[in-house]
Amino acid sequence: MKLKKDERIGIILFLLPAMILFVAFFVLPIAFIAIMSLFEWNGITKGTFSGFSNYAKIFSDHVFWKSLRNNVVWAFSACFIQVPLALLMALILSKKPKFWKFFRTVYFFPQVISGIAIATLWSAIYNSEFGLLNGILKAVGFGSVAKNWLGNPHTAFICILIYGLFYIGYYMVIMMAGITSIDETYYEAAKIDGANAFQMDWHVTIPLIKYSISTCVTLAAVFGLRTFEQVYLLTNGGPANRTSVLVLYLYNQMRNNNYGGANASSVMLILTGAVVIVLIRKIFSNKED
Amino acid sequence: MNTVKKGLFGFLKWFLIIFFAIYTLFPLVWLFVTSLKTNAEYFANPFSIPAIPQFQNYINAFSQANLGRMIFNSVTVAFIATFVNIMVAAMASYALSRFKFKGREVIFALFSAGVMVPLNALMVPYFTIFSKVGLLDSLNSLRILYAAIGLPLSIFIVRGFMDSFPREIEEAAYVDGCGFFGRFFKIVLPLTKTGLVTAATFQFLTCWNEFVYANLLTSSPETKTIQIGIRYFTNQFTTDYVSMYAAIVIAIIPSIVGYMLFQEQIISGLTSGAVKG
Repeated sequence: MKLKKDERIGIILFLLPAMILFVAFFVLPIAFIAIMSLFEWNGITKGTFSGFSNYAKIFSDHVFWKSLRNNVVWAFSACFIQVPLALLMALILSKKPKFWKFFRTVYFFPQVISGIAIATLWSAIYNSEFGLLNGILKAVGFGSVAKNWLGNPHTAFICILIYGLFYIGYYMVIMMAGITSIDETYYEAAKIDGANAFQMDWHVTIPLIKYSISTCVTLAAVFGLRTFEQVYLLTNGGPANRTSVLVLYLYNQMRNNNYGGANASSVMLILTGAVVIVLIRKIFSNKED
Repeated sequence: MNTVKKGLFGFLKWFLIIFFAIYTLFPLVWLFVTSLKTNAEYFANPFSIPAIPQFQNYINAFSQANLGRMIFNSVTVAFIATFVNIMVAAMASYALSRFKFKGREVIFALFSAGVMVPLNALMVPYFTIFSKVGLLDSLNSLRILYAAIGLPLSIFIVRGFMDSFPREIEEAAYVDGCGFFGRFFKIVLPLTKTGLVTAATFQFLTCWNEFVYANLLTSSPETKTIQIGIRYFTNQFTTDYVSMYAAIVIAIIPSIVGYMLFQEQIISGLTSGAVKG
């Protein structure tokens, strides 16, 4: 069917607003940071071209590497702890135990509540003087373990990281939808072959929801690389930059009027994300062969 | 042997189910209970139940941090940004879903890739754009920005819905001489209502919960949003924890109510793209 004239005009008119916003807020900003990362720039006066010196500077800054390392740890923990837990619960809730809809609703709560509200709540839990965690420890006789969780260099990062790992609702819902879409005949065939419930989960369900799993792993890695709010609110990178992440690093550079360095950090963040996405795609498509 | 095994796995299963439920719910219940205590009660024992529920804390939160103004700001920002976002997304989706033309898939792939862009990495350019056009410290900057950054997801969801109903539906109207715009408003838009509500729910929650750019682009008391309001109590040298908890409860209630109302849409929207192989 050939397009009529009013259709051709209509298509252009209807795509235009989305295209303009997309170019203005996605394409140009990315081009902007890529180019401006090559300039020494304080955000006020005109920048001067400086080649890769911004990159050289951040590469020689140990805080940058610490931040990058924290992001990588974050992404890995999400992929290897949070997603498997979510898969486990998706397998359990898909068998529709009593009140499964209620539990699905509850597990999803943290996803609709703002990250800043949850982080503030956890800062109260970790609070050294009247926090919930120390209160529980004292109540059950482990008062000697109680400590200033977020001020202690050995516990601060793990505390910020760990609480989100048990919020599994988002990935669980994605994988449950994958499980629901599996054709019943697969299970009938497995049953005839004498498979028990675990063998069915392992040999039928998990291979068949591979696409959902890869989506979750990708999202988990990407979210791990872009974390900011939790760190900003709970420790602001401290103690001694131990809990810094890339977005916080670039935010601080921006606040110190080192816009060139901030842009170089942004480029590194986007590149790391792109590499991770490609790698995960590769891993999951290789398994198919 | 088999029944023992079954019992063990049954126990393990319910242990996990209940563990994750308590893990999610307990802090929220604790938050609500604590928001009704006095500061003295809170400092004395974080687990106690308030002797007399202090609804005063909520009044304090409103008067101290000017929460009323912040809620109003968040509501207008979220409504306007959602409306613009959904209109723009619906128009683009219509063009991308109901017509075949050169570059269609490329444009769609580009929009979809936008979902993966780490928006936090774009602080410098967004800040620069809005300061260049003089929209710093204005709620309009948030309205425009939120409408734009939600587009990839909204287009993804809405186009998915439009693709799911057959072309024949418009054909009768086409034969009757109904043009491009007529078919959009009279046929496609009404049929896509569920998809639009789904995308709008996501978009609204994103706007309501957004913190990073609200924090970066606004500064004066008149332009603060509710998520910044939570920060108000942690920024100050105040020890009024209970009012802060009251403010958090106020900030999360709309999210939870909205989620309860549109739960099915949220779940279907979340999974629309994740299932197909």
